[in-house]
Amino acid sequence: MTLAPSLTGTVNPASARLENVCKFYGEFQALKDISLVIPPGKVTCLIGPSGSGKSTLLRCINFLEEYDRGGIWIDDRLIGYESVGGRRMGGRALREMRRDIGMVFQQFNLWPHMTALQNVAEGLERVKGIPRARAHEIAAEALAKVGLGDKTGNHPSRLSGGQQQRVAIARAVAMQPRIMLFDEPTSALDPELVGEVLGVMKQLAAEGMTMVVVTHEMGFAAHVADRVVFMERGELVAQGSPAEIFQNPGDRRLAAFLQGYLERNSLEL
Amino acid sequence: MMELDLFREYGPALLRGLGVTIFCWIVGTACAMALGFLLALVQRGVSARPVQWILRAYVEFIRGTPFLVQLFVLYYGAPMLGLRLDAMPAGLLGLTIYGSPYFAEIFRAGLNAVPLGQIEAARAMGFAPATILRRIMIPVMLVSALPALVNFSIILTKETVILSMITVPEIMFETQTMMAETFAFAESTLVLALFFWVFVETISRIGRRLERRATHYLLDRS
Repeated sequence: MTLAPSLTGTVNPASARLENVCKFYGEFQALKDISLVIPPGKVTCLIGPSGSGKSTLLRCINFLEEYDRGGIWIDDRLIGYESVGGRRMGGRALREMRRDIGMVFQQFNLWPHMTALQNVAEGLERVKGIPRARAHEIAAEALAKVGLGDKTGNHPSRLSGGQQQRVAIARAVAMQPRIMLFDEPTSALDPELVGEVLGVMKQLAAEGMTMVVVTHEMGFAAHVADRVVFMERGELVAQGSPAEIFQNPGDRRLAAFLQGYLERNSLEL
Repeated sequence: MMELDLFREYGPALLRGLGVTIFCWIVGTACAMALGFLLALVQRGVSARPVQWILRAYVEFIRGTPFLVQLFVLYYGAPMLGLRLDAMPAGLLGLTIYGSPYFAEIFRAGLNAVPLGQIEAARAMGFAPATILRRIMIPVMLVSALPALVNFSIILTKETVILSMITVPEIMFETQTMMAETFAFAESTLVLALFFWVFVETISRIGRRLERRATHYLLDRS
């Protein structure tokens, strides 16, 4: 697969800042006082066992999941609330903020009644108000850039998982977001299709997009991430450069998690 | 021995009756669907207890009472409360009210079956709620809901005969007139049965075509 030189054109990457974020499901506390800085133009990987709260945290960043305490700022604008601990933000203001935040899901979540082209063009037309002809042009370009220039007329049911996920990435990137969230983007893929999706993500990273990636792909985290954050049971346990996290895991729980990962993967061979 | 001459005399009235039946069905079904959709949206979107309670009561009451009784309440009962309706408006309103909870139920189930992820993808991109409903939820919902919608619309074709009881001059009403005046039971009931058969068959063909169109993207795997 060869990719076009630039997926995004020019990116003006945003930063994000999380302070004391808490999230409750009834009595259960899913996120415990998470504070974290997402630097602009860098790749931050969230790792940890399932149920550790990393997906929940990611979904709080665009307020798909409503956090209960603390604050999350995109650049310097609080998302979801008018002030920390204040009233919920209005729908219009939230939608406007979300335009800057792209998201890619584990299950792709393409719209099944639309072709690949329509999936990418829909947001351009309905959210950005770009005329249909122009939206379709942009969408066709975006699909070509993820190596799907020949699949624009296919419905999702006629695309492989890897192709669907690349359409989903094109759909998000075409909106020209300033930060991209990836929620286990390769977890639902057959192993042989993981590479094509990671390839697109690597290119996006190289172009200077701010990326937050929840992943089980330790190889991707080790080689592409600038920062790695380890979570367990709703707590942020450790964070650092890939070298700090993977080669010198000081924390006992992090070491146990990585050890378990290594054992599972060596058993598979 | 059938007397075809009868149809020369009663033909025009029967044809008018056919027209009225088709008209009542189209308007009644469309309005019932619209009201049902609205009910489903309110049921889904408004969590306030009293609203849910009123909705529940409405659905239970309408589903729990016969259509004929509802029509009598509307046509003979409502004037005592100051609402005087002619037969036709009462009949159309009756069909709307009678059909709405069933359609509401179909729409509710259909909307609930739209995968949340597809809605979240749109929300995450900054789509407005009305756009999500129109562009994503309704088209996706129709795939699963169409067979049930067609099915209940067909049931409604046959409920229209009950409008004859409040003197709406539809096909049943005209047929009864013919029967009463000529005692030609075989001829008139045959016409009635034939008409409904052709009517229902036509609707189900249209329904199947709509289903194919709505689901084409699921079937076009090569």
